[in-house]
Amino acid sequence: MNRLNQLPTLRIDPAVNHSLTYRGRTYQGVAGDTVATALFANGVRIFGRSLKYHRPRGLYSLDGECSNTCMEVDGIPNVRAENTLLENGMTVKEQNVKGSAERDWLGFMDKLDWMMPAGFYYKIMHKPAAIWPMAMKQIRKAAGLGIISADHKMKGRYDEQFLKAEVTVIGGGAAGMAAALAAAQSGRRVILLESRPHLGGCFDYRVSTTSDGTPLHERARQLAEKVKQTTNIRLFEHTSMVGAYNNNLITAFQVGKADDGFTECYIEIRSDSVVVATGCIERPLLFDNNERPGVMQVGCAHRLARTYGLLPGNAAVFSVGHNPGLEAAVDLFDLGLKINCVADIREDGQDPALLLALTERKIPVLKGWVATKAHGSKMVQKATLCTIDGMVKRQFSCDLLVASAGLTPVSGPFILAQAIMGYDDHTGYFLPDQLPEKMFPAGRITGINDPDAIETSGRLAGLEAASAAGADLWTKVAETRNALAAMPGPERGCKLVIAPVKGRKSFICFDEDATVKSVKQAIDQGFDVPELVKRFAGVGLGPGQGGIPGHNLPLFVAKYTASKETPKPTTVRPPLVPAFIATYAGYNHHMFKRTPIHHSQKADGGIFRNIGVWQRARYFTADVDCKEEILNVRNNVGMLDASTLGKFRIHGPDALKALQRVYVSDMGKAGKDRIKYSAMCNDDGCVIDDGVVVKRGENDYYFTTSTGRAGQTAEWIRYHTRYDNWDFHLVNLTDAMGVINLSGPNARKVLTKVVDIDLSNEAFPFSGYREFYIQDTIFTRALRLGFVGELSYELHVPSSYMQAVWDLLTEAGKAFGIRNFGVEAQNVLRMEKGHIILGQESEQRTNLLDVGLGFLWDRSKTVARTVGAVALRQAANDTGRLTLVGIRMEDDARPARDGSLIVDNKVRGYVATMRRSFTSGEAVGMALVESQLAGAGTRLEIFEDECNGVRIYARVVPMPFYDPEGERMKS
Amino acid sequence: MALTLTCPICGKRNGYEFRFGGEDKGPRPPEEGLTPGAWCDYVHMNNCTAGVQKEWWFHRDGCGSWFTTWRDTTRNLEAEPPEANK
Repeated sequence: MNRLNQLPTLRIDPAVNHSLTYRGRTYQGVAGDTVATALFANGVRIFGRSLKYHRPRGLYSLDGECSNTCMEVDGIPNVRAENTLLENGMTVKEQNVKGSAERDWLGFMDKLDWMMPAGFYYKIMHKPAAIWPMAMKQIRKAAGLGIISADHKMKGRYDEQFLKAEVTVIGGGAAGMAAALAAAQSGRRVILLESRPHLGGCFDYRVSTTSDGTPLHERARQLAEKVKQTTNIRLFEHTSMVGAYNNNLITAFQVGKADDGFTECYIEIRSDSVVVATGCIERPLLFDNNERPGVMQVGCAHRLARTYGLLPGNAAVFSVGHNPGLEAAVDLFDLGLKINCVADIREDGQDPALLLALTERKIPVLKGWVATKAHGSKMVQKATLCTIDGMVKRQFSCDLLVASAGLTPVSGPFILAQAIMGYDDHTGYFLPDQLPEKMFPAGRITGINDPDAIETSGRLAGLEAASAAGADLWTKVAETRNALAAMPGPERGCKLVIAPVKGRKSFICFDEDATVKSVKQAIDQGFDVPELVKRFAGVGLGPGQGGIPGHNLPLFVAKYTASKETPKPTTVRPPLVPAFIATYAGYNHHMFKRTPIHHSQKADGGIFRNIGVWQRARYFTADVDCKEEILNVRNNVGMLDASTLGKFRIHGPDALKALQRVYVSDMGKAGKDRIKYSAMCNDDGCVIDDGVVVKRGENDYYFTTSTGRAGQTAEWIRYHTRYDNWDFHLVNLTDAMGVINLSGPNARKVLTKVVDIDLSNEAFPFSGYREFYIQDTIFTRALRLGFVGELSYELHVPSSYMQAVWDLLTEAGKAFGIRNFGVEAQNVLRMEKGHIILGQESEQRTNLLDVGLGFLWDRSKTVARTVGAVALRQAANDTGRLTLVGIRMEDDARPARDGSLIVDNKVRGYVATMRRSFTSGEAVGMALVESQLAGAGTRLEIFEDECNGVRIYARVVPMPFYDPEGERMKS
Repeated sequence: MALTLTCPICGKRNGYEFRFGGEDKGPRPPEEGLTPGAWCDYVHMNNCTAGVQKEWWFHRDGCGSWFTTWRDTTRNLEAEPPEANK
C-alpha cells in the first residue's frame, strides 16, 4: 500500500524498513509502525477470530481497548498488536483459528449463536454430568484467545523503579503536558506518564487549529518540546498506568525502546498529588455487525491516515455522534478518501464550520441518522443507514464504516482510586461524584473539547496539584479558573444508546462475544444490574476490561430495565491494561549472603546450598555422605566456616534485664571467661532459638544465635522489651565477624601454632571463653564448645581477617591432616552426639520441654516475665506431647529418610534426622514421637514416601550415640 | 502497598519497610496470679477494630525501632488518633 509520506503529523519514518513474518510470508513495515499497522499496510484486514463465534475481527480502536488484534508475537500469545511497536524480524501469528484468520473452519460457529445464550456454560451440559469433562475440553479447544505452552520461557529483561514525585500527571496529551509544565514551573518534581510511544494525545494527529491559528499537531509538538526541556519533569512514554491506590500510589509499566536496558519496566510512584488527563476514547456504536472488519472508530481511521500514512479504506460511510467525527470526515476526504455519506446521530448542535466544510466538499450529511447494519461476510461491503426512530432506511456501498456514538472518558484511574462514580447528564459521561483526595482531572475527561480550554484546564489542574503538593499558587489557580470559565465548557453528549436494531449481532463486548441480545437474556433472567450482567453474560471480562462495553453496558441496562436510577458503571481493577506477569516479577531476585571466605571455600571444592539467607558449603566432595570429612574430624582435625552464626553485643545498664526477658535460663549466672548455653522461646513456650552468652564486662554481653534467627533477633528482643524503656544497646555483629570452627583431637595442636597463650585443658577448659590476638594482630574471641563432639575451638574474628586466619590455620594444620568439613558433615557429627538443631529437631509446635532442654529453664525468675515461661508452666503438666528420642534402625544398612513418619494406625511422630554413623556403623537418628512411645526399646514403625506399603522399623535407644560421657569434647 | 508509616526516628516511609507488631495491648502482665485464660487472651486475642486503632510497628529496613502509631484499618492508612486519645 502506498503511504501518505509527506504528512507533518506522521509518527513513522518511511525511510527505515522493518520486516515481519506472518503466515510464512515476509511483510515490510516501517519504523514507527505498530505490528497492526504494518500488517494493515500489507493488506491484512482480518487479524483474528472472536472468542465464541469465530467472527472475523479487524482494526477497531487502534489503542488496544479490545482483543480484536490480539496476536501471538514472537511466541508470546495475546499481544495487542496495535499497541506493540514493530521490530525488525518479528514473527506474528493469528489466534483462535482453525485454518487461518481469513478462512477459519470454525466460522460456522457464528450461526450457532442460538445454542449459546447468556450463561449457557452455567446451565447446559451439567446433565448428564459425565459428558461435562469431555464437552469442556472441546469448548476449550474451540474458544479462547492465544495458547501458551506449559514450558514457555519468557525472554527479555524486566526492570522495576520505585519513584517519588510531588505531582504525577497521567496522560501526555495537551492537557497533561500543560499540567506538567504548570506544576513544574513551581519547582515541583513532576512525573508525566503517556501510554502511547509519543506525546500529543488527541492533538497529535489533528490539523484543526487553536484560537491563534496553530494547527493542533504543531501545538502538541511545541508542548512536547517544552516538556522535554524541563528538567524537573520526568517523562515516561509508552508507559501505561495500571493501578492507583490510596495515598496516591500510582503503578505503571513502561515498554522499553531498542536502546533501553529493559523489555518492560514496572514503575511504582508515590506522589503527593495526581493529575488525571487520560482523555477520552470513543463510545462504540451498537448496530448489527458493528465489529465487522472495515468498521472502525473515528480515531482509528483518522490516526491510521495521519499518524501512519495509511488510508483506512477507499469508500467510506460515517456514522458518528460528535464533532471530532465530522472533523475526521473532512480531513480524510482531503487526504483522498471517498466519502459516500456522513450520518450524524444528533439532529442539531453540530459545529457549523464543520457542516459548511462538508457541504463544500459535497459530502451528503444526514442528521438524525445512524448505521443499523454492516453488510458483507468478512469485510464491510455495504452499510444500512436509518433514521434514529427506525422509520426510513438507505443503503450505501462502502468498504469502510467509521462508527462512533460519541466520546467516553477514560475514568479508570478514578475508579481504581475508589471514587464513587456518578453520571453527568449533560455530557453523558460517568465521572466521579467526589474526587479522591489530591487528584485533579484535566482536559477532555471533564467533557470539554475546545483546544484552548483543554490546555487551560490542564494548566489549572497542574497548578492545583502543585498547590496540593505544597506550592503556594492559589492566586494563580483562581486566575486560571476564571480564564477557563470564560472558555467553551463541556459539550452536550450524544445520548443514543443503541441503533434501532434487535441486537442479535450487535456486539456490546467484543472480547467475550457478548451481544445486545445476550445482555437482554441476562436481564430477563434477573441479572438486572450492570455488575451482574457483566458476570453472567461476560460483558467486559476480557483483556480490555471496560474499554469497549464500559460505557454502553450501564446505559443499555438502564434503558432496557427502564430504570429511573442513575446508571452505574462496572468496576475496573488493576492492571488497567494487560501486563506481563514478568513485568510485575521484575528481576529474578536470587539474593543471598556470602561468608567472608566464600571464594576460598569454593576453590576448595565446596558445593554450595542456599540455607536461609546464606550460601553455605554443604559438601567438599561428590560423596553426599561425607564419610571422609566426618572421619577426619573424628580422627584428625577439621575446619568449618560457621560465619553465618548470629553474633550480637548487648550492653548498657539494663542489658541483663533484656537477656532475662528473652532467655529461659537465669542469665545472671553468665560469667566472665565461661560461656552459658541457653534457649529462647516464644510466648507459647515453643523453642525458637538457642545459643551461648558470654559476659565480657559489666553490663556488656556477647551472644550467638542460630543462623536462621540472626535476622530477627534484634527485632525480637526489642519487641519483648518495648514497654519497659530499658536502657540497653543491641549491635548485630553477624556480618562484621566471621567464625571458624576448629574441631578434632588435633585441634589444640593446630591452634597452638598460631597463638601464644596457654591452651592446655586446665588453662582453657571446655565451656571456656578467651580473648587473644593471633599473630599479635587479629583480635580473636575463642569459645570452647563441643557441638560436633570433639575438642573444638570456635574462633570469632573480624570478617576482614577471616581469610588470613583461615589460611594460617590451614598452614598450621597441614602436619595434622587438617581439611574442610561442610554443613552436612557437621549435621551428622552433632547428630551422633545428640545435639539438636532447632528447625530440624523441632518445628513450630515443639516446646522447650519436648526437645529435652527443660533443664535450661529457670522457674524461679518470675520477676523477669520471661517470654514463654507462663506457657511452659502450663505445658509442663501436659500429656500427649511429642518427645525427642534417639532411635536406631533394626536394619543398620537402611536408615530412614529425614522427615519420614512414625505410624501405627495413625501418625505418631516423625524422624527428624537419621544417618548411618560411620563411627559406629549403626543407623541412628533422632525422632519426635508421642510420649507414650518414648520408652527405651519401643519398636517404631516408619512410613517413608514412596515406600509402596513396605514399612521399616526402628527402636528407641538412649542418646547420645557417640562418646556418651563427653570425654572427647572435654579433653 | 499504598501504606506509609511515620517512624518517630526516620519520618514518613514506605510501608514495605515495616513489620506489623499487632495491636497495642499494654505491657506483659505479671506472672504472679496469672490464670492460663488471662494469659492466652493477652497473647492471642485481638480487638480487630474496624476503624482507627493503635498498633505497634517495627522499622525493619530502617532504624530498627518499635513504635506505636494509629492506623485506619478500613482504609489501611495511617490516621490521626481519635479525640479521646489525644
